[in-house]
Amino acid sequence: MAGVVFDQVTKRYGEVVALNEFTLDVEDGEFLVLVGPSGSGKSTALRMLAGLEDISSGEIYIGDRLVNDVAPKDRDIAMVFQTYALYPHMSVFDNMAFGLKLRKQAKALIRQRVEDAAEILGLTDLLKRKPRQLSGGQRQRVALGRAIVRDPTVFLLDEPLSNLDAKLRVQTRAEISKLHQSLGTTFIYVTHDQVEAMTMATRIAVMDDGLLQQAGAPEEFYSRPDNMFVAGFIGSPAMNFFDATVARTDETWELEAGAFRVALSPERTAALKRYDGQRIVLGFRPEHIHSRDYAPSGITPVPVEAAVDIVELMGNESFLHLQADGISFLARVDPRTAARAGQRIALLLDITHMHAFDPETSAAIALPDGPAA
Amino acid sequence: MTVRGLPLPSLGGISSPLRRAPGTPSGRWLRGRGPLHLTLIAIVILWSIPTLALLISSFREATDINASGWWNAFKDFNFTLDNYDEVLNQRGMGSAFVNSLIITVPSTILVILVAAAAAYAFAWMRFPGRALLFIVVVSLLVVPLQMTLIPLQQLYGEVQIDADLPVLGGRIFGVGSYPGVWLAHAGFGLPFAVYLLRNFFGNLPRDLFEAAYIDGASDLQVFFRIALPLAAPAMASLAIFQFLWVWNDLLIALIFLGDPDLAPMTLRINNLVSSFGQNYEVLTAAAFLSMIVPLLIFFALQRYFVQGILAGSVKG
Repeated sequence: MAGVVFDQVTKRYGEVVALNEFTLDVEDGEFLVLVGPSGSGKSTALRMLAGLEDISSGEIYIGDRLVNDVAPKDRDIAMVFQTYALYPHMSVFDNMAFGLKLRKQAKALIRQRVEDAAEILGLTDLLKRKPRQLSGGQRQRVALGRAIVRDPTVFLLDEPLSNLDAKLRVQTRAEISKLHQSLGTTFIYVTHDQVEAMTMATRIAVMDDGLLQQAGAPEEFYSRPDNMFVAGFIGSPAMNFFDATVARTDETWELEAGAFRVALSPERTAALKRYDGQRIVLGFRPEHIHSRDYAPSGITPVPVEAAVDIVELMGNESFLHLQADGISFLARVDPRTAARAGQRIALLLDITHMHAFDPETSAAIALPDGPAA
Repeated sequence: MTVRGLPLPSLGGISSPLRRAPGTPSGRWLRGRGPLHLTLIAIVILWSIPTLALLISSFREATDINASGWWNAFKDFNFTLDNYDEVLNQRGMGSAFVNSLIITVPSTILVILVAAAAAYAFAWMRFPGRALLFIVVVSLLVVPLQMTLIPLQQLYGEVQIDADLPVLGGRIFGVGSYPGVWLAHAGFGLPFAVYLLRNFFGNLPRDLFEAAYIDGASDLQVFFRIALPLAAPAMASLAIFQFLWVWNDLLIALIFLGDPDLAPMTLRINNLVSSFGQNYEVLTAAAFLSMIVPLLIFFALQRYFVQGILAGSVKG
C-alpha cells in the first residue's frame, strides 16, 4: 500500500496542454475520484500515473519512489479500463492469472489468488468462460478481478462503470466501494459522473481544462465550492447563477438581482463591501428554491416571482424550469406545488444557502453562514 | 428499417417496395432473391465445368480423350487410373509433389513470421521513420515481380553457397537452391502480407496492449501472447493466399530452379506440355493432382478465407 504524489505534473501534446502543473497528494488508503468533463485532463493524469503516457514535466511518486522513468509493469499498480480490455482469447481464469504468470508466481499460488478473487466477485462459476460469453457486468467484474489478484499498492480505475446500464451502475458502484473498504488499498478513480464522485470518494479532485479546480471531501464540494465551475459541476440538477449588483442604501447593503433583492447582514456586508457598486454572481442550488406555499420552516426567505416554462414531476419532488427577468433557472420543489407551464408562481429563495462568486476570476467569495437579513 | 404500420423511407430505397408487394408465391420469388440465386448458380456451373472436365478426362483412356469430348464419358464410361499411374510413376509427378511442398511450406511460414513481426511494429511501436518505411513497403505492392528477376538472377549467380544438407539438394543459396526460391517468394509476398496484417493489428484496441503492459508483459510477450493469438484468423487467411500463390507459381521456379530434380509440379506439368504436346491424358491427371492440395486447403480453411479478405474492414 502506498500514497501517490503528483508534483507540478504537466502534459503537453505539441501546443496543447492537456494537464497543467497538476499537484495533488493522495494518501495511503484513500479513495480519490478525479472528476471533470471530457478533455479536463483527468484521464491523462491517471495514464501518466500508470506509465502509459510520458510526463512532459513534473514528478510523480508512488509511495516514496519517483516513478517518472519506471516502466508500467514495475510500478506495482493495477488498472481497470473503461472498455475492460479483457484478453478475448483467454478464459476468465487466464485473464485474471495473466499478470501473475508473467511474474512467474507458483502455480498453486496463482490458482489460490484467482479463486479467492473470483469468490469475492462472484465469478467462481464463470472461470472457464471466454470474455465474449459474459455480460457487460460480468466482464466488468473480471476486469476488477484481474486487478485484485495482483494485490497492487494502487488501484487505477478509468471510467469503469460508463459501459454499464443505469441499474447495474448503481449496484457496481456499491460493490467497488465495498471492495475499497475490504482491501484498504489506495484507489484512484476517474469519472465524468459527479454522482459517482460524490457517492464513492473519500476525497474528490475536480478538474477542468487541464487544471485542478478543487480537491477535498465530497461534502465540501456541495456546501463550499471554490469556484463557479465546481459549483456548477457538482450537484444535480446544477446550481443556478444570477447576476447581481452590490448596492448601498443609507446604512444597509443589499444585492440587486433584477428579479429579487437580498438585504445583507452585517457579517455578509463585511465580506461583500469591497464589491461596492460592482457586479457579482449569486448561486442558488435548485433545492434551496422553494414554492411559497410549501416552503419548509427555518429558512431565510427572499421572495421571487417567475414564469413556469416546464414542470417535471419526479414523484417525490418536482423540477420547475423557470424564467425571471430574462434568466432561466431551475427549482426543486415540493410535489404538491400547483404549477403549470405558462403560469407565474411565487417562490422563496433560501439565502442561508446562498453562494457568491467574483465574475472576473469566477472564484467563490466566502460568505459567513447563517441568516442574512 | 420500418416500424410496424409506419411506412418509413427505406435506406437506399430498395427493400420496402419489394417487401410490401403482396402477390402469389411465384411473384414473390421473382421479386425476391430468386433471380439472384439463379444467376449465382449459373456462374458456379459455368466456372466449374472446366474443372469437372479435367477431372473426368483424367480418368479416361488416352484413345477416348483423343477421339471424343469429355462429356461422352457419361454415355460410355471407361474408368481407368492409368493416367495417374503414369504421371506418378513414370513422369516423376510424385517427387514433384514433394518438391512443391518443400518450396511452398517454408515460403509461406517465412512470410507469415516476418510480416507479423513487421506489421506489429508498424502498428504499435514508435520509432523514427515509421510512417515513411510503411509507405515504402506498401508502395512495393505496385512493383511488378518481373522487374526484379534479372537483378535477382545476377545476385544468385554471383553468390552461391553449397553445403551438403538433406532435402535441400546440395546448395543452400543462389541459383538452383531451395532457400533462394524461398527468399524470392518471401520477398514478393511480404508487401501485401505486411499491409494486410498491419491493418489487422492496427484495429486491435489499444487498451488490450496497455493492460498487458501493466500486467507486466514485455514488448515480446505482448507480441507473442496477445497480438499473435488474436491475429490467428488474419494470419490463417494470409497463409492460404501465400500458399496458393507459391503453389501455383511457375515463373520463379522456372527462373531460379535449374535442376529438373528440384522442380515443383507446375514446372513439371509445363514440361509435360512442351515435350508431349498431344498427351492430354497425362496432362489432365497431372493438373488435377496439382489442384488437390489447394482444394483441400481451401475447403479446410474457407472460414478464414472469407474472414481474412474482410480483415481490418470491419471491427471485430
